[in-house]
Amino acid sequence: MKRIKIILTLVLINFNTNLFTAEAGMPQLDPTYWISQAFWLILVFSILYISISKLYLPKIKNNLETRENKIKEDLESANKFKDQSESKIKEYEAIIENAKKEVSKIHFESKQILVKDIKSKKDTMEKEIEKEIIKAQKEIIELKKNSVSSIQKISENIASNIIENVSGDKLNESSIKAVVEDVSKKNVGKYL
Amino acid sequence: MASNPMQQFTVYKIGPEIKIAGIDLSFTNASLFMVISASIIILFLFLGSKEKKIIPSKIQLIAEMSYTFVAKMISDTAGSKAKPYFPFIFSLFMFVLFCNMVGMLPYSFTVTSHIIVTLIMALFIFVAVTIIGFIKHGFKYLGIFVPSGVPAILLPLITIIEIISYLSRPVSLSVRLFANMMAGHTMLKVFGGFVVSLGILGGWLPLSFSVALTGLEILVAFLQAYVFAILTCIYLNDALNLHH
Repeated sequence: MKRIKIILTLVLINFNTNLFTAEAGMPQLDPTYWISQAFWLILVFSILYISISKLYLPKIKNNLETRENKIKEDLESANKFKDQSESKIKEYEAIIENAKKEVSKIHFESKQILVKDIKSKKDTMEKEIEKEIIKAQKEIIELKKNSVSSIQKISENIASNIIENVSGDKLNESSIKAVVEDVSKKNVGKYL
Repeated sequence: MASNPMQQFTVYKIGPEIKIAGIDLSFTNASLFMVISASIIILFLFLGSKEKKIIPSKIQLIAEMSYTFVAKMISDTAGSKAKPYFPFIFSLFMFVLFCNMVGMLPYSFTVTSHIIVTLIMALFIFVAVTIIGFIKHGFKYLGIFVPSGVPAILLPLITIIEIISYLSRPVSLSVRLFANMMAGHTMLKVFGGFVVSLGILGGWLPLSFSVALTGLEILVAFLQAYVFAILTCIYLNDALNLHH
């Protein structure tokens, strides 16, 4: 402890002598070099001012302006592209809309054509069918007529044959015919 | 041991004596550091404006930032009319700032810690602002001493106060910068002296103070340059836009 105290006091003495023996004065107030300082200040500052104002500030200003312009231009072109893409999208949408309309139109038209086609075909078919039916009916009627007369003939033959076989005599053909005709007239209505 | 805290401000001759018409214009250490500061500014601006990149390099960015910083300061305080004075205020700000900053380097000399230097700058600003005021407004510029909306009884007193405050502008402007720089450097020197005299045992406390003060002084160096420039802008604003 004692040693530290001694050292501290020594240090303080040393420090005090240094501080208080120092010459107290401000070199700033010594006018010896005032004019020299003023001269050099004006000279150096003038050179600095001229070089800054004529050389460097325009350059920096130019740089800043080019950057600003570039940013502006980029933004403008971006907006332009945006507008373009929007108009393209609109165009595309219009095309799609048109295409949709066309598709529905085509769909409708083809449907109509088909319906018409089917109808006309159906009509012709029906007409043909009717014709066929009429024809068939005529044929049937003819067949009926033919069949009646042929049946009469057959039945005349059968009747004459049966009478021949039973009685052994040939009967008068006209009388047989008359009988068969009479019977068939009575019974034909039942079957035809 | 060079422990006189004021010794750092001594101006001494470097090189031969230059005498023109009996006036001593010798190149001194003060002149040397003015030249160094100005050279650093010019080098910095040269490197900062050399390349015209759309995406700026670091030094270009700093140069452009200092440009926009000063431009914004001027337009905020003095309006658009002060645009023609932008190069001057920019040079002034950069010069004061770099002189202060170069002065922060050990063994260097702080140009702005000399009253004669700051006084010349302040006087130049004062005279220039007064001339600009008279050119722009003629004798109406004297209206700056007569604030509007003051009772008639108080008017003579207020006018006298205004005149005194106007005339004391160069003094306050120069003494503010000079005193700040001198006080800071003196304090640093004193604490540095404490470190040496207290030695390895007790020197740590003043050393830590010294470190903290160095940080503070760098802040002060920037702040005083800013204050010097912004006060110039305010004075210029008074001269350009007369509405007191």
